[in-house]
Amino acid sequence: MKFDINLFGKSYMRPWKQKKVIFLILILLIVCLFLTDLFFGSVSIKASEVIKAIFTNTDSSFSTIILKFRLPKAITALVVGIALSLSGLQMQTVFRNPMAGPDVLGISSGASLGVAFVILGFSSVISPDSLIGLGNWILVASSVAGAGAVMILIMVISSRVKDIMTILILGIMLSFGISAIVTIMQYFSNESMLKAYVIWTMGSLGNLTSGQLNILLISVSAGIILSLISSKMLNALLLGENYAASIGLNVRLSRILIFSCTSILTGSVTAFCGPIGFIGIAVPHISRIVFKTSDHKILIPGTILIGGVVMLASDIISQVPGSESVLPINAVTSLIGIPVVIWVIFRNRKFSGLF
Amino acid sequence: MNSEKILSLNSLKIGYASGRHEKILLPPLTASAKSGELIAVIGKNGIGKSTLLRTLAGLQSSFGGEILFGGKNIRAFSRLELAQKVGYISTENVKVSNLNVYDLVALGRFPYTDWMGNIDTESHNRITDALEMTGMSEFCYRFVSELSDGERQRAMIARIFAQDTGIMVMDEPMAFLDIGSKYDIISLLHLLSHENAKTIIFSTHDLDMAISQADKIWLILENKLIEGAPEDLMIAGVFDHLFESPTVQFNSDNGTFSFRRKQKKNIYLEGEGPIRHWTDKAVNRVGFSVSDVKTIPYIIAPSEKNSNWQFSYLNSIVEFRSIYDLVSFLGKEY
Repeated sequence: MKFDINLFGKSYMRPWKQKKVIFLILILLIVCLFLTDLFFGSVSIKASEVIKAIFTNTDSSFSTIILKFRLPKAITALVVGIALSLSGLQMQTVFRNPMAGPDVLGISSGASLGVAFVILGFSSVISPDSLIGLGNWILVASSVAGAGAVMILIMVISSRVKDIMTILILGIMLSFGISAIVTIMQYFSNESMLKAYVIWTMGSLGNLTSGQLNILLISVSAGIILSLISSKMLNALLLGENYAASIGLNVRLSRILIFSCTSILTGSVTAFCGPIGFIGIAVPHISRIVFKTSDHKILIPGTILIGGVVMLASDIISQVPGSESVLPINAVTSLIGIPVVIWVIFRNRKFSGLF
Repeated sequence: MNSEKILSLNSLKIGYASGRHEKILLPPLTASAKSGELIAVIGKNGIGKSTLLRTLAGLQSSFGGEILFGGKNIRAFSRLELAQKVGYISTENVKVSNLNVYDLVALGRFPYTDWMGNIDTESHNRITDALEMTGMSEFCYRFVSELSDGERQRAMIARIFAQDTGIMVMDEPMAFLDIGSKYDIISLLHLLSHENAKTIIFSTHDLDMAISQADKIWLILENKLIEGAPEDLMIAGVFDHLFESPTVQFNSDNGTFSFRRKQKKNIYLEGEGPIRHWTDKAVNRVGFSVSDVKTIPYIIAPSEKNSNWQFSYLNSIVEFRSIYDLVSFLGKEY
């Protein structure tokens, strides 16, 4: 960046300089994928029509599809990818657990429980079919609270239990417990509520109203800002809490900040798009492989970009270009994420090396 | 060298809180350290060495008494101010892949960098100084996970050197290291304390090393903490009972341990130089004590290499080509 001093025959280059090229490539990739996502869909639209729809104010049916459906969906994909990946990165560092992620430790389940409370519980008060206006905020708040509660629970557990496998198993147990509660709630709810909830659990990027998209954008922006603020803290936490405290970190305060951040990111995405799996756990690992660093000043922007790339690609794949069918987004992200997770497990068989 | 007390413990009660109970580990401790001193903390396993060091580093609170840094109570410092006074290395192994040595050492600059943790020129210079000081410059871009135990410990020491604290607290910095790396680390600690005026407080089980290298020893016993130069403590004879067990005894005249064995028989040893020295050791090992009076049986150690040992007993003399042969004979036949 500012200096590049040659000492002992080795140059101490500032990290940004080395990684600039990768960042540029990723930004280009995002732009390409974003445009591709606009060009492909279940209705085939000529490229010229797409461009026309974007740049002119025509009122054709094509432009409605592009502007009202494909554009919000592409934006949602981008934002969801960023949010889930960022929250996974932060969780992996804070828990010092390579297998941590929004979906694995039961955080997404916590968010689902929050959503279930709103859709199945309070929907007698608020209409379940059209969660408009304040309803959306309640949905997000409840989902964020659910995610946060599970996160705190996991933190308490992992302060007592150090073994990563044990924590993972406890996380899975927690997920089962939560889904049992949700099942009971489903049993007592009426048909329309049940339908709304089941559709939500399938996960979707395309069902957001513009109001919901706005809320998602606001929440995720807040999450991104918080995570940028936390990057120095995350670096300190890499060595564990003792060392972090010994170099001057207020561990409790930074934990509150980071947990709020991950809860907002996971909660808001889960509220509107359903539980989307394996992005949060896989992307931070891809980012570490690509950037070969543990410095969060690089990993955070890197994870943001790679998260966007992976999610846009998943969305394009789920459209099955050239066909009229659409695959569930959850299936696509799982098929992309699972090999990465398996690779991580094989790389450190005994979970001895973290991250 | 500044002779002012940089650190003092006054009737400090250490322990930990488990639930609502406070568990105080030791009676109140009183000790002090001056600038540039290398202080070894010695005591049995589980007596509370780690707890003491963690309390000194401000990682857990005390239950009475006070810790003064340059006359100011530890409680008066904020987390960030404390990080500029005391650096800490625990026994915990740092297991982060993709973390290179430069970034690890840069973490020591945490208390001085801006909110993003950007490394400015000042910090960069401190980091390169620390790398050079610990001989880690060439490892600067190596991942910490790829270093040997000794190298990793050097990198950790570089980190607290970059943290620029007057006091460095290290919990068993030489545990799990091979002999070479052990000496490497202790000489580095010596250098840091004597050349760079760092006060280093480290716990160790290596009494030998502590006695020969430390300026001061804090000896933790069940009922008190005794401090002083290693030699003072040796003369006072406080080590004698510390590590004693039915099988091991401590010799306070030379600071070494030896095994208690039933001494079978007296034996006389003739010879000189290293060959005599090592023969003496070997004979001792199989249960003979070497007497000063000429008796039978006796051994004549060769005066030069490649000649034989002679063992004389009753009326016969047996020759051996090596100590190994001699000792096998003594152990089994005689």
